[in-house]
Parts: sequence; structure tokens; C-alpha cells
Amino acid sequence: MRELVGRLDALDPDASAAVQVIAYFDQLSQARAGLQSIVRGAAVLAGCAAGLADDERRVRLRVGPDGHRREPADTRDPTWLSAPVAPGDTAVLWLERPGPAGPVEAMVLERAAAAAYAVLDRTRGKALAPGHDEAAIEVLIDENAPEDARRHAASALNLAEGDLVHAIALETGARIGRQGDRIEPATRAGIGPDVRVLDLPGSWAAARTALRLTAEGTEDDPGPRIVRADDLGGLALLAAVVGLAAEPVPDVLALEQAASAAPWMLSTLDAVATSMTLRTAAAALGVHHSTLQDRVTHAERVLGWPIREPRGRFRLYAALMLRRLYRNRR
Amino acid sequence: MEEAILTTIGPPPPFDPELAAALTVIAANFPREFTADLIPLLRQPNPMMPIPSNEDLRRGGAFDVSERIVTGPQGAPDVSLLICRPTAVTAPVATIYHIHGGGMILGDNRTGLPGFLEWGEELNLAVVSVEYRLAPETPHPGPVEDCYAGLVWTAAHAGELGIDPERIIVAGGSAGGGLAAAVALLARDRGGPALAGQMLLCPMLDDRNDTPSALQMAGLGVWDRAANETGWAALLGAASGGPDVSPYAAPARATDLSGLPPAFIDVGSAETFRDEDVTYASRIWQAGGVAELHVWPGGFHGFSGMAPQATVSQAASAAPLNWLHRILAS
Repeated sequence: MRELVGRLDALDPDASAAVQVIAYFDQLSQARAGLQSIVRGAAVLAGCAAGLADDERRVRLRVGPDGHRREPADTRDPTWLSAPVAPGDTAVLWLERPGPAGPVEAMVLERAAAAAYAVLDRTRGKALAPGHDEAAIEVLIDENAPEDARRHAASALNLAEGDLVHAIALETGARIGRQGDRIEPATRAGIGPDVRVLDLPGSWAAARTALRLTAEGTEDDPGPRIVRADDLGGLALLAAVVGLAAEPVPDVLALEQAASAAPWMLSTLDAVATSMTLRTAAAALGVHHSTLQDRVTHAERVLGWPIREPRGRFRLYAALMLRRLYRNRR
Repeated sequence: MEEAILTTIGPPPPFDPELAAALTVIAANFPREFTADLIPLLRQPNPMMPIPSNEDLRRGGAFDVSERIVTGPQGAPDVSLLICRPTAVTAPVATIYHIHGGGMILGDNRTGLPGFLEWGEELNLAVVSVEYRLAPETPHPGPVEDCYAGLVWTAAHAGELGIDPERIIVAGGSAGGGLAAAVALLARDRGGPALAGQMLLCPMLDDRNDTPSALQMAGLGVWDRAANETGWAALLGAASGGPDVSPYAAPARATDLSGLPPAFIDVGSAETFRDEDVTYASRIWQAGGVAELHVWPGGFHGFSGMAPQATVSQAASAAPLNWLHRILAS
């Protein structure tokens, strides 16, 4: 596999390489492999050295692309690709290669981080680093908390007032991240905009809205697991309105009906709505172009509006977003 | 009663976690099936398994690489030998006489050679690799006689090649391991070159193809029972598995395993060849011979070459080198 996997990138950067990366780490997790196996997998699949460090849990690991252990480096090059294993977690996984990440590297980083997080969680417990002081975070993101209390909470979290930080909304609670943290977490997350520490309540509100637009990334619920508030634009306004409306609009009901017509429906519609062309949508789905054409024809019939032209495609995109907002009302 | 217990075959032993992960990638890039009609296709160059060039084999000047056409078996064509001699040493060197793998039906004398040259470089060994004719075009005894003829020529021309005729080891993996074992039997029975050792890496020894491990691992791993059937049928035709198979085709058929050079045998616990290889080692001991046996838990066929980064592969690759050190200590 020396020859084999180092060249996954060259083989097929779009589809099959990503599938193989996913299968690789799924298999490791299923067999409850340890941290070293996971970091080794990242190194071998990415074709460069990889490492994992967590001062809180006292973990330092580094493996070369040949799979052999290496001495942990004293310093980490800031240009290397890296990610916390979960939002706000103290453990960082990295690939010793400068960015930007290609599709395979991004996938390796994401999957290895998720697998490492699961092992750390299982074997060493959650790292309750400064960023995890739940009570202090609660205060910092609470717009009704007195400013003094928020200053106090910030210092408890080791944050200076001038620091640029953002709130991260998870299904299980809140985290705080620093500007520039790369987030490739295992869980769904909405990321608020970077703000000064005392403006975190605003970032938190935006992060919660972003979380409502995340999806499981499954066939039933296609879409991104991580959404940044900065990318939402006018959708944020839509989210505020959907929170109040009682009944889903007819287009969302049409989507639900279409979803029950075929198991591939929602993931296909999501790919059509978010890809540049039908051809790239077909590649993303891993189906032949003509298969996708047939599916689209079928979908148009069930939905009742065309989705091959910009206006209909936008209507579809809006319906998909609304569906997420209804599903994630809270 | 006792017999019934002994013949109960359980589920396949699990693959090592890292190897299972690697297998997901390997399976996606390698042929799933080895059937007779696929042999021409399987022989096509595989971009995932590049053939080492002379430049690769020279390893930055560590080896002189040359090809010699030498006398073949009686009445058969000449045989080509690829001769890699270490440049650093002028005194006669010990030699690995290498026989490539490929199920008797695939490969050439460069297949798998880099791994042997790595050991050769470490220990200042020459590596001579024989190009034998493949089945089914050349059935038994053509392939093994080619291998034996190349060995006889190498030993007879030791002075000219700058090698020590007293320190030649036959070595090979998979089908190459089976052929190496057969060449050792031939050398013993014909009073041929005195061998210093036989290195049999996951060797293919038994055409009967019906051990518990062959049954247990059917449909799993890299070279399963069906693939093995294809290889043996190509070599032996209808005689495969029958009463009249020569030990020089299938060394497991030999009734006498005494008087053989020290053997190194390794195999994975999760592969077709496990039981025939373990039995071969046991029978050498029972005959009063010397053998070193390694069974690597959770290893699939050829795991250490295909997934060299895995922890268990690192251990498995260190063992033959360690054995060579001891066997060749002068």
C-alpha cells in the first residue's frame, strides 16, 4: 500500500478516493483501533507525516508516511493542515503539509479527527480545557448577563477582551472557538461570526441559526454537517420567520412527498440544488449522467415544478433550506 | 467425539484492525476475482503496482543490476536472471535466489523485488531473481524446472558473479514461496547446490486446497480458495487435488521433509495458506529439521507487502531480516 494509498489523490480525487478514506476510518473505528492506528492511517492516506497532540490529556503522537513512529516535533508549522478533533476540543490532529487542503486531504483530516475524538472520549474522557468551562461559557453568550460577570467569565476561560472569538452551537451545547480555528468536527455544528469577547451573545445567536441549517449528511437528511453563519446571508432572516410559522409551506410538503417516492430523492435533489451543473451533481452522487437525467425527470413530475433552470432550481434550494429549518425548529 | 471437535471449523478469525482498514482500500483497487478467463486481464500492467525500473533496483547505486540469459531445463528455452549485486563489497557475497509470486499465473522477476533488495542492502547480499515461465501456458514441471535451472547456473557461476556458493538462500512469497520450497526439495533430491536456507513467505504449498483455513477464509481477504483453485488448476490441470501430484509441484505432497536447509516460514492467521504453512513447518520439525515459523494474527495474504505501514506488518517485515542475520552470520 506504500504505492497504493499515497496516490489515492492522483487516482480519483472526486469520488472513489473519498469513499475509500471513509471506509478506512470507519473500519478502524469499528474495530476500536487505537490513536496510533488512526494517526498512522492519516499519514499513510495523505502521504505525509501526521500527528496528534493534546496537552490536557497528555497525548503526543507523530507518525511518518511509512507508518513508523516519529519523535514528536517541538514546534508545529502553522501552515500545516490541522483541525481540533471536535469543536473547541484541546486535541489537534494535523497533516505535515501546507494548505489549502485537496478534497482527499480534507476528508482524511475530518475522518481521522472524528475517529480520534471517539477514542479520546472513550479512553481518556472529555478534555475540560478552558474552552469547556460550561458555566463560564453560559455567562459569556448570555446577552442578559451583566458586563462584569461576562468579563469575569472571559478571564476564567483565559480569553482577553480584545481576542477575536466565535460561538459554536452544537446539538449538545455551546463552545467557544478562536479566530482561525479549523473546525472539522464529528458532530453537527453552527459556527458564529468572529467577534470581540464581549460580543459573543450576538455570535451565539447567529451560530444557533446556522446550526438549524445543518443536516445529518445522510440520505434522509442530506447537506453539510457544519454551517458558518457568515455564509448564510439572507437565509438568516428566513430562519427567524420559519421559527414562527406553524405549518410548512406547500413546497416543503411537496419535498416530503417526493422523498417518500424514492430513497435517492432527497440526496439527489440536494446535489442538483448545490452543484454547478447536472454533470458535477452526477459525479458527486456517484451515478451516471443519464441516470441523473432520469431521476431529475422523475423528481420534476413528483414535485410539480421544473428544476433544470435557474428559477426552478432556486425554488428547490429554498424548499430544501425551509425543510431543514422546519425540521430543526427549536 | 474428539475428532468431531477437532474438525469443527469456526468463523473466520478477524483481520487485524489496521489491516482490515487497509483491506478496504486494497479491495477497491485490486481484482476481486481470479478466474481462468480473467488471467489475460490480470496480467495487464496495474498502475497501482508499478514495475520497478533498473534505476529503482539500483537503489541509488547500492546495487549493480544486470540481466543474464542462461541455460534452461533440458529441452526447454533459456532462462533469464536479473542479477543485483551490492557495489560496496568485492568479496564473495551471500545471495538471495528470488522466485516471484503471482499464483503461478502472474508477475515477472521484478514483482516484489524491492522488499528483498531492502534486506540485501542492509546485509550486503546479492539478489538473483529468476524469470520462470507461467502457467497455464507452461504447466508443471516447466515453472519449477526453470527456477531450478537458474539456481544451478547461479551456483555454478558463483565465482564469475562474485557470490559465495555456500551461502545461497532460496526465497519467495506466495507462489514464489511454494516454488522456493520445491526448488529446495529438488536440490536435495538431485544432489544440487547446497542451500543455506529457504525463506518461504506465506507460501502456496498444497494443491488440495481444503484445509480448515482455506475453507474458513473462502470469499475473504486477498487470495481466497477460489483464486487458489484457479492457480493450481492452471499449473496442474485436471490432476490438481488428485492422487498423483508431484511434491515438486506442491511441496505439501512431499512425504519426506528431512535433510532440507533451515526454513523461515511466515503466514497470516486470516488467510487460505495458514494451515498448510503451519503444517509444513511442523513436519520439518518432526523430520528433525530446522524451521522458524511466524503466524501473524489477523494477517491476510501478503499483508506485510501490501500494507507495510501497519504495526503488525512492521513486526512481520523485521522478522525475515532478523532470520537472515542469524542464518548468514559467518
